[in-house]
Amino acid sequence: MSRSSAAELRAELTNLIARGAFLLDERRFGEWIDLTAPEFRYRIQAYSPDIRRDMTWLDHDRAGMVALIELLPKHHVDGADLLRQVSVGELHSESATEASSVSSLAIFYTARDIGDSHVDGGSSRLFLVGRYHDRFRTEGGKWRLSERSVRLQTRQLGVGSHLFP
Amino acid sequence: MTSQTSRQWRQSLGSSLLPFVDSRIYTERDIFEDELQKIWRKSWLLVAHESELQETLDFRTTTIAREPVAIVRGEDGVVRAFLNVCPHRGALLLREPAGDLRQANPSGSPKRITCMFHAWQFDAKGQCLSIPRRNAGYQERLQCSDVSLHQLPCEVGYGGFVWVHLDANPIPLREAMGDAFGALGPHLEAEPLEVFHHHKAIVHTNYKLWHETNSEFYHDYMHHFNRVTSMQQAGYHDRHYEAFPGGHATVSSMEVKYTAYEHEQVNLAEERDLSFPLLERNGWKLLDLFPGITLNLRGSALRIDTATPLSEDRVLIEFRGLGLKRDTAAERERRVRDHNTIWGPFGRNLPEDLLGVTNQTLGMRPGSEGLHVLQARREDSRIHDEIGLRHYYAEWSRRLGRDASDPYPEGSVHSIAAQALASAPLGAAE
Repeated sequence: MSRSSAAELRAELTNLIARGAFLLDERRFGEWIDLTAPEFRYRIQAYSPDIRRDMTWLDHDRAGMVALIELLPKHHVDGADLLRQVSVGELHSESATEASSVSSLAIFYTARDIGDSHVDGGSSRLFLVGRYHDRFRTEGGKWRLSERSVRLQTRQLGVGSHLFP
Repeated sequence: MTSQTSRQWRQSLGSSLLPFVDSRIYTERDIFEDELQKIWRKSWLLVAHESELQETLDFRTTTIAREPVAIVRGEDGVVRAFLNVCPHRGALLLREPAGDLRQANPSGSPKRITCMFHAWQFDAKGQCLSIPRRNAGYQERLQCSDVSLHQLPCEVGYGGFVWVHLDANPIPLREAMGDAFGALGPHLEAEPLEVFHHHKAIVHTNYKLWHETNSEFYHDYMHHFNRVTSMQQAGYHDRHYEAFPGGHATVSSMEVKYTAYEHEQVNLAEERDLSFPLLERNGWKLLDLFPGITLNLRGSALRIDTATPLSEDRVLIEFRGLGLKRDTAAERERRVRDHNTIWGPFGRNLPEDLLGVTNQTLGMRPGSEGLHVLQARREDSRIHDEIGLRHYYAEWSRRLGRDASDPYPEGSVHSIAAQALASAPLGAAE
């Protein structure tokens, strides 16, 4: 791959990852799903030094993610604003139609309705850190996210979340 | 205007008709300290599962009532517990949450518990093996045999769980549990179990409020998942609570209709035929153990909650998920998914439960209007009966020598202070 096409690929995939983070921050989940390929698989994983095992905390295919999103209104979802800060690091072109990347992830949490909203509302804190391990493929000339594995370093998440990083 | 203060509410309560507890049991520091001494230091506590210490010289660390504790599987295969503190200068010995002693640490030799500070070394039975330059420094005044680790009562039982007691001479574990494991025990003891999930949450609430959430099902109204898969299904309101001496209680089973949850794409359209030994398909049994342990067996996965109280308004909760040791990879994946769909940190139920108890803490803060928290649902010991709560507080009151509904009786310092505050006219302090 030439230097210019490598830079082009990096720019395209970085934009895709950034766009995805923005849409998730904004809770525009339908538009986020549109960035994914039909075979999309999403997982949240972490290693536990307590039991010395890898753990999978969420594991859905695309239909599963759609259903999870559609059911959010039926659950008591934390109303906090999440801000995903993503830094794309390693990026590999595996073929003309496939690529992968590893990005650092930090999510900041701005309280709204958990805790005393009168006192705590509007305060921000770090919610979690980890990495996105993403795979991409082209579809109709556009890059799509075909797999995302979120590897979390943070294992204490307070009350947790119905949403996903 | 219709208004009622907590004091008026209390006057209208007949304790025999509408049992309640005083909210100060959740908020007062002196009660919390009393609980550490009279309950947490005097109870058998589930601290790990044997699968977390599979090999000889594996260890696990934890904390009970502020005491650091190490659990070690010795070279003889026996699991022992010690205070995780060096008898020399009080430093913590094992710092990792889990690991093994097979490798040397930078200050010591393999197969030893070595204090990083001054390199005192102990074996996996807690016996002191080495004190650097002992003779030069202590001459004959101190021998290794004088300073073994403080061993704690430790038993493995009820499905391979590791139980530890801080008191040197506790009643036997089997006696403390009585018949509480009668319904759940056969499922846990039929085959070896294995932990596949562990996560922790520090929650701003009193530990009892968390245990209460695990001890009453009336709050299923909060969970969409439980409403549609259980509460709206046949058999739910027939589930039966049974209380046992010592503050323990169990709930009988029903068949959970997972397919009722609209999220069929997730994992529910597939036939849920994976279960636990001897458990009916998609059965659901629960056991609450005093003072803060819950075993929740539902379908294919067993969830264990253990509470570590940190203060009157903070608790560390550890959540474990277990399957069978003989699981195939596909079976294990199934159990993990079933477990985390509802109980993982990104599950559908757990964030709601934790949010619920956090909200209770916000409503009952020190010095705010004292509340009288009802435990008064009586439904012939059926699922929404609050017998589990009442039974828990009968044991709590017995242990503490305080009435949970009147923890500061007339004449006590707190009562006098509270009355003075209550009777003071507005602005009296100015």
